[in-house]
Amino acid sequence: MSITQAFLIHLICGVGLAVGFWVAHNVYSINLVSHPSHTLRLILVVETPIVILLYSCFRQNPDNCSYLKAVVRAILGLPVGALINTFGAIALGAPVGIQYLPKTINWSLLMSLFTFVPAASVFGSSWADWHRIFAHTKPNRTVEYMICIPAHAAIIGAWFGAWPMPLDWEKPWQEWPICVSYGAMVGYLVGIVASLGLALLRGRQQHNKGD
Amino acid sequence: MSCTKWTLLTLAGVTLQLIGLSLFVFGFFPVKPALSGFSGPESYNAPACDDLVRNRNPNEISRPPDQLRSLYQELSGIPPLFDRLILMVVDGLPAEFVLGKDGKPPRNVFVEAMPYTQSLLASGKAIGYHAKAAPPTVTMPRLKAMVSGAIGGFLDVAFNFNTQAFLDDNLLGQLFNIGWKMVMLGDETWLKLFPGLFSRHDGVGSFFVKDTVEVDKNVSRHLGNELSRDDWNLLILHYLGLDHVGHVGGRNSVLMAPKLAEMDEIVKMIHTSTILTQENDQEHTLLMVVSDHGMTEHGNHGGSSFEETDSLALFIGLRKQVSDYASATQNTAHQVDIAPTLALLLGVPIPKNSVGVMISETFDLLKDDHQLRALELNSWQLLRLLQAQLSELTCGNIPCNGVGDTQRSGTSDCNGSIEKMLCCLYMNAAVLHSSWKSKKVSESNSWEDYSNAIAAYDKFLKTASEWLSSRATDKPVGLLAFGVAAMLLSCLILSSLVLYMCREVYLVEKLRLSHPNDMHRWLLDETFVIGVILILVISMTSSSMVEEEHYIWHFITSTLFLLLLRKTAQLLPAGIILSEEQSRNCKFQICSISVLVICGRIMRGWHQGGVNWTNLPDISKWLEQAGSDHVKTIQLVSGCLVICFGLYSLSLFESKKIIIVVVGFSFSISGLLLLLRVLKFQDYKLASSSYGATLLAQIIYAVLATTTIGSFVTLPWLMPIRISNMDSNNDINSSSPVPSDVQYKSPWLELRDSLYVIGWVYILCWCVLQLLLQQPINSLPILLLLVEIMASMLYFFFEGQRCTGWVEVS
Repeated sequence: MSITQAFLIHLICGVGLAVGFWVAHNVYSINLVSHPSHTLRLILVVETPIVILLYSCFRQNPDNCSYLKAVVRAILGLPVGALINTFGAIALGAPVGIQYLPKTINWSLLMSLFTFVPAASVFGSSWADWHRIFAHTKPNRTVEYMICIPAHAAIIGAWFGAWPMPLDWEKPWQEWPICVSYGAMVGYLVGIVASLGLALLRGRQQHNKGD
Repeated sequence: MSCTKWTLLTLAGVTLQLIGLSLFVFGFFPVKPALSGFSGPESYNAPACDDLVRNRNPNEISRPPDQLRSLYQELSGIPPLFDRLILMVVDGLPAEFVLGKDGKPPRNVFVEAMPYTQSLLASGKAIGYHAKAAPPTVTMPRLKAMVSGAIGGFLDVAFNFNTQAFLDDNLLGQLFNIGWKMVMLGDETWLKLFPGLFSRHDGVGSFFVKDTVEVDKNVSRHLGNELSRDDWNLLILHYLGLDHVGHVGGRNSVLMAPKLAEMDEIVKMIHTSTILTQENDQEHTLLMVVSDHGMTEHGNHGGSSFEETDSLALFIGLRKQVSDYASATQNTAHQVDIAPTLALLLGVPIPKNSVGVMISETFDLLKDDHQLRALELNSWQLLRLLQAQLSELTCGNIPCNGVGDTQRSGTSDCNGSIEKMLCCLYMNAAVLHSSWKSKKVSESNSWEDYSNAIAAYDKFLKTASEWLSSRATDKPVGLLAFGVAAMLLSCLILSSLVLYMCREVYLVEKLRLSHPNDMHRWLLDETFVIGVILILVISMTSSSMVEEEHYIWHFITSTLFLLLLRKTAQLLPAGIILSEEQSRNCKFQICSISVLVICGRIMRGWHQGGVNWTNLPDISKWLEQAGSDHVKTIQLVSGCLVICFGLYSLSLFESKKIIIVVVGFSFSISGLLLLLRVLKFQDYKLASSSYGATLLAQIIYAVLATTTIGSFVTLPWLMPIRISNMDSNNDINSSSPVPSDVQYKSPWLELRDSLYVIGWVYILCWCVLQLLLQQPINSLPILLLLVEIMASMLYFFFEGQRCTGWVEVS
């Protein structure tokens, strides 16, 4: 995959996020602070098909694996990744309770979309690749950079986004999962830029080596 | 670097740190020269005549109270204005609530809540002051400041929770000496400060902040009875409820207006039953409504913002009409001014270390010469204090026979050094006063002379008071800077030593294991830990971080565990086939980390601590609602499990069976006793009330103490010197990433064995002790804590673990 393609994909994903926000703001006139659950669901509805359809184009072994199969395993990966993200969030102190359930579900679906779904559609059930990307953080190809860096960045962003939560500022956005979602999205966007930069750098290095 | 040099440098660093710390502490909590002893009859003479008076009457203070009272009256020359005082302390009431701020009346809600007080202010029967309190705005130092007029240091805060009797010269002691009978109702801090002074008292505790109703009812229930009696002269009422309302809901709490209305009712009751009924001139009662400190928007206090220092001083019953509402409310004073004002109003000497200035408006009822005399007495008292702090302050020839040197006419402009200036100001006032007096004898005194003298006294008093207060709070900057510099230097030395050591260790490791990847992985955890330590150090500077510190701790430890989980996952088979033992290890590690994470999460959910979220539901509240049987069951189960886990962990240790058996036996005895105690005595609300429970607790204490001390003393000696069978140890630490620090040396091994057992004994005994002491609901977290410690021991990683435990349990 070329850098241009990567740039286009990332651009479309970023625009998808923006469109989700725009629809929430202007069509339904809600935002993340007033209706976190609804807004997250709207963003999900817009962003999920984009991510799944785009990343499925770059599946591994396209000869053995049809486009439809990649889409299906990405769709299967969505709830699984959400489950893992939920466990992580609860272990780190996310509130457990029936009134938080929809928020937690929507948030973890979004996190799954950022972290788990691209990997699921590209790698499928290839354990070695998963292990290399998520346990060792060692991406090699451009598409791996595009999966690995934004995913890690989204998690780190969400982690930092949780910091203001216990403070006594008494702002409405300190509620779970508003600031965490903001953190995750900011992290994701930063990760997109960083992954493009890193991929570019790597390409140049390899080019030099080739010379 | 040689070993000696190393040790010397470390020692130097540590010593430097200690020196710097002590310098800083001495600088920050300066010990001010304070006058000892009590003001006696000599305070009615000019300071220069102290020696004369002391020689003449060595033990006048020990006269009978009635004689002392008439002696004071005779010496002072001012008739005491009041012979009864009701001091109503409303804890935490900001003056703004009653008097308004910047010329504006208080908020409508508060005006409507206090109709009687506002009507008193409007009709001029009361006069209120914004009495600026000095930090720290905490109850006990403020009470001390009110009764002694002295400004305490920050060190007073440390004593606030363990109040000691107040031994300095103070108003209450002076009043006691002239035979006043005192009654105290309210905050028991007064009882601790002044033990034995009150003839009747009913103290209430101030520590249960949630209670906003009962705490005041307990004060008011005696009030009707006390007001109808006439066997007291001083009645102190200390209402804590308003402070509690602030702590619970802040300034704008819905409970605030009803609480103010309650206070207003009490003011009305006192005013109508005592002050309004005394139309004859036989006895005069003064009602003073004061507050010890204010509160911030959120109801906190302790600092030095305007909201916190804005305390109230409201005089009711001065028998003097203030013309309008504005002049009754827009006055400012200092909290320390209350002591000299009351002392002069009640006819006792001003306490020795008072830095306050009498509030002159309250003396308007007096005749001119009496007012000047009061000012003179206050000046003499401040002059004595000044002389104690400025040894050069002699003020030339202050005549001690009372007749001024009238030949020095006119006043001079005062400037120059502080000694000269204060002296000059005082001389001006004294000269004007004596010239006024001499003119009065010749019947030619003018209003102008009088007001000049008053102004001169005011100027001296204000200057002296300001200087003394600043003296009490300013810090020796040089000392502080030197202390900080020494600490910084030692930090530099120590950290460079650590860095150097790290580099050496890394070099050695690099030589031994040529695994650059391993090094990289190590660094990831370590950088996280170092970064977190830095963040925590920075966060200590912000109060909102510290308030919810336990959440941050939980967050960080959980993150650390998740990172460790990831690190373990890296070792999982990824194409490479691991041996049987390795994969078993891996699974073991993953299990222990999962246990850690789950335990941590349950413990976090157990209590909603901190400041902001205490009202949210948590597991302990839920269990308490479910009934005491459940709690008891949980307590029993966790007690049993603690014993089981403890015995299991001791049995992991295989060498020297007898010692282990002895230790385990004593441990299980105490554990079983604990269970017995739970079974038998849990139904009593206060276990300490029953004799059997106390005895059992004492036995448990004794067993625990002997176990810990005994094991600590004997174990290092009883451990056998073993050279063989070191395998048993290796399986304990098999999962440790760095077992290489012990290189199969028998003395090291032996030391480590004993340390292991001692450590376990301590942990287990601590658990049993906590099970005994904590509330029953907290027993499961202790078990979880033990499980966490075990799991993390199995993982051989201690970072931050215990700290979270402590924070969360407390």
